[in-house]
Amino acid sequence: MTTDAFAFPAVARMPRRPAAILRINSVACHTVMVLLSLFCLFPVYWMIVTSLRPANQIFDTTLWPTSVSLGNYVHAMQAIPIGGMLANTFIVAALVTVAQLFTGLLAAYAFARWRFRGDRLVYTLVALTWLVPFQVVMIPNYLLVAHLGILDSISALIVPHLAAALGVLMLAQAMRSFPAEVIEAARMDGAGNWRILWEVIVPSLRGSIASLAILIFISTWNEYFWPLLLSRSPENSVIQIGIQMFMSAEGNAWGPLMAAATLASLPILAIYVLLQRQVVQSFMKSGIR
Amino acid sequence: MTSIPLDVPRVSPVIRRRRTGWIISPWLYLLPTLATLLLWVYWPLLEALRLSFFQWNMVPDAPKTFVGLDNYLSIFALPKFWQAIRNTGIYIAGLLPLAVAIPLAIAIYTHDLPPRARNIYRAVIFVPMIIAPVVAAAVWRWLLDPGHGLVNEAVTLSGFKPVQFLQNPDYAIWTIIVLTGWKLIGFSTLIFSAANANINPSLIEAARMDGASRWEIIRDIRLPMLRTTILFLVLMTVLLGAQWSFAYIHVLTGGGPLGSTTNIFYLLWDFGFSTLSVGWSSAAAIILFLGFGVMAFVLFRLMDRYSFYDN
Repeated sequence: MTTDAFAFPAVARMPRRPAAILRINSVACHTVMVLLSLFCLFPVYWMIVTSLRPANQIFDTTLWPTSVSLGNYVHAMQAIPIGGMLANTFIVAALVTVAQLFTGLLAAYAFARWRFRGDRLVYTLVALTWLVPFQVVMIPNYLLVAHLGILDSISALIVPHLAAALGVLMLAQAMRSFPAEVIEAARMDGAGNWRILWEVIVPSLRGSIASLAILIFISTWNEYFWPLLLSRSPENSVIQIGIQMFMSAEGNAWGPLMAAATLASLPILAIYVLLQRQVVQSFMKSGIR
Repeated sequence: MTSIPLDVPRVSPVIRRRRTGWIISPWLYLLPTLATLLLWVYWPLLEALRLSFFQWNMVPDAPKTFVGLDNYLSIFALPKFWQAIRNTGIYIAGLLPLAVAIPLAIAIYTHDLPPRARNIYRAVIFVPMIIAPVVAAAVWRWLLDPGHGLVNEAVTLSGFKPVQFLQNPDYAIWTIIVLTGWKLIGFSTLIFSAANANINPSLIEAARMDGASRWEIIRDIRLPMLRTTILFLVLMTVLLGAQWSFAYIHVLTGGGPLGSTTNIFYLLWDFGFSTLSVGWSSAAAIILFLGFGVMAFVLFRLMDRYSFYDN
């Protein structure tokens, strides 16, 4: 690599191979991506298509419904209280999101603002919780919830998630790059920590906060394991458990099942359609989980 | 700003990098987070350790009997446990191509697609990531149904017998692996594409001017520069891969047929909530935690050593 200093943009665009080969190459690239896209999207498409077919055409294999009916949705809503479950799921996801943002901002501020004895240790302890699989602590958590007497309630789904490592770490990282001079200026003006956090730092972190909010909301909406341990009655369940209950009750009622699945995904898909770029970015920023 | 400040600790003009003695404010700000994590993660971890030495069936009034290491010994003597360990290995090994190797190949191969097409593909292949696992499991159960599922309709149309994707002990685990991979493949591709796009194009161009072939560029420039990302995704797959399949296993196979899809996470659930043996479940949890701790440590060390820092 001897020619590092060249100004390349112009050179880079020069075709170095014959045009025909380039075209074949690009056709092959598109083929790969189209196949991958089909693999990823088709199941979702098929879910929606099946949910819209009339009951007597469920086994049709036409790629789109020849006639559209909402009968499956009616059936599904009669079988399980989907409306209430969606409301439960929304309440849980929204409260968990707000709570994690709040606790995360406070904790991140503590790490960004002060050096104190044990700060590295505490930071590590927070980060390490990420490595404890939920299945490892599920029984003590279950017993704790039972002890608190909140089994089979929505609050049990929220309380363990009031704070999480992900939020603290992401926000701490965002705050670290916040200019110290601005904080100092606010202090000179006589602002206390509480006001510095909420009036100076938070407004400028809106991007990070929004992307974290999207991430927490979607993951909580989709959560399965913890609700599975706790939910007993349909009225106190989230939609994911509703689908599972529906499936074990009438496993092969494909039309209504796909209708329930579609309803469960609709809010998330709506968020995705509206905020596609931000959603993708917030997931990629955080890694997986 | 005219209002009275809430607290007045303006002692030093230097904000960071200053070690004062014991100050209370940071602890107040940390309190909600620490309280939650201690109560719901660290204390339960110790509690799981304690319970792993007892025999107990989760009924509050039933006696807890101290049995020492008996739970551990019985678990190690259990063929089911070793089957679950082996299956966990198969899950991880099967997911690595789907979550790392194939996405890497696709990302490198398609790196010079025009931006508009790339944005469309990007939007589409990300979708499985936000679909709830239970929803995905329901849809795939329908697609793979031996009677009328679309996949089996296609199989019969090509002149074969319908495949028992989830009912045949030989196929079930691979079906679950592919479904878990379905969720991850697009996402990993996006991660690799982003990392790939960050490689300084002048490096590639320079190598090309020096006469490097397409393959040599990939081998000598792209792969080394992507090393951090590759290691990161391997780490995620190894540590979390078997966990991601939990919902699919629970909804689609219940760990069967004949335990063929039970991995260590499902076994924990099974011990704890189907057979209600708290001691066994806790002992298995502690074994799992230690095993994963060791693996995480090794992988983080590897990542530290082999990461490529492009400053």
